[in-house]
Amino acid sequence: MFKKFSSEDVSAQNQVKASVQRKIRQSIAEEYPGLEPVLDDLLPKKSPLIVAKCQNHLNLVLVNNVPLFFNIRDGPYMPTLRLLHQYPNIMKKLQVDRGAIRFVLAGANIMCPGLTSPGGALDDQVGAETPVVIMAEGKQHALAIGFTKMSAKDIRAINKGIGVDNMHYLNDGLWKMERLD
Amino acid sequence: MAEKPQPVKVLYCAVCSLPAEYCEFGPDFEKCKPWLLKNAPELYPDLLKDATGKEADKVSEQLQSVGISSGGGRDGAASTASPGDSSSNKLEEVKRLPGGKVKKKDKQEVVIEKVVRNKRKCITVVKGLELFGIKLSDASKKLGKKFATGASVVKGPTDKEQIDVQGDISLDIVEFLTETWPDVPEAAIYFIEDGKKVPVV
Repeated sequence: MFKKFSSEDVSAQNQVKASVQRKIRQSIAEEYPGLEPVLDDLLPKKSPLIVAKCQNHLNLVLVNNVPLFFNIRDGPYMPTLRLLHQYPNIMKKLQVDRGAIRFVLAGANIMCPGLTSPGGALDDQVGAETPVVIMAEGKQHALAIGFTKMSAKDIRAINKGIGVDNMHYLNDGLWKMERLD
Repeated sequence: MAEKPQPVKVLYCAVCSLPAEYCEFGPDFEKCKPWLLKNAPELYPDLLKDATGKEADKVSEQLQSVGISSGGGRDGAASTASPGDSSSNKLEEVKRLPGGKVKKKDKQEVVIEKVVRNKRKCITVVKGLELFGIKLSDASKKLGKKFATGASVVKGPTDKEQIDVQGDISLDIVEFLTETWPDVPEAAIYFIEDGKKVPVV
């Protein structure tokens, strides 16, 4: 999704009003309870929260010009990888095997066999259509952020086709955009 | 979760910006290697071996792949993938041209855009003059004087300053720009038409 993404794709960015700000903050806190203690540091109440609207119904949440979260069509907010690397335990994790890393880094969606093979790992609590972080076999840090297409049980049972949609991965356009100004 | 979780510090490669452990899958592993040797040698023990026995690079690589394949059946697949990696690296080298294009943005160029404001009223937006070392406030004054319209310096969408000139002056402005500021070559001026960048000449 962010394969080609640059500041040119941002159509408008504006400082949102306090009520919207509160709503964003609330939905993030709901989605990622683990992030709550640091939420005040991440989204300081005083510094303005900026929402950048981009093509394809995409919104970026910026604080001090640094993209921190994104969402699509009012979907759940997802953290950017740079943020996730700092707080890795806030999302459910899936792990792909080593062979898949290459493809994921090229922007491919995550296929079921890569998750069910010996190198992969599945969290059985993961339901369909939830944001997850994609880890990689033998690596400490997150590889990508995805949106599950089916639940973990289905992934195991069907074991075919796309299991997780690749939203944001290392070295994609959003990754390269450390700051937006 | 009463206490604050401390942010994890991740070592990012200075060359390709990926976390160091992902360099091997990055766009240019070869270029990252010197940096990795210096900053994260423990992540790639193979590299150290390479560095010590550089004269026999290929031999050692083969040795490694043998070592890996003896390690486990599944890892064998990884070792077969490694030559594929090197070829993909070559591919990436070609692909990096688009990356170069992104860099072009910093290139000195003036972008002129006509924005329709009110059916028959429009505004001409001039972006990028500051890249030529031109003072925008001076420029807007000159533009306003020349075309006898309002011209103001406005903060653009991405915090960049631009000049808004009232009226459609896109036809005359090129000549005016090149005449008043000889530093600005005609080739560096672009129009935006239907969302596409079109060079003037």
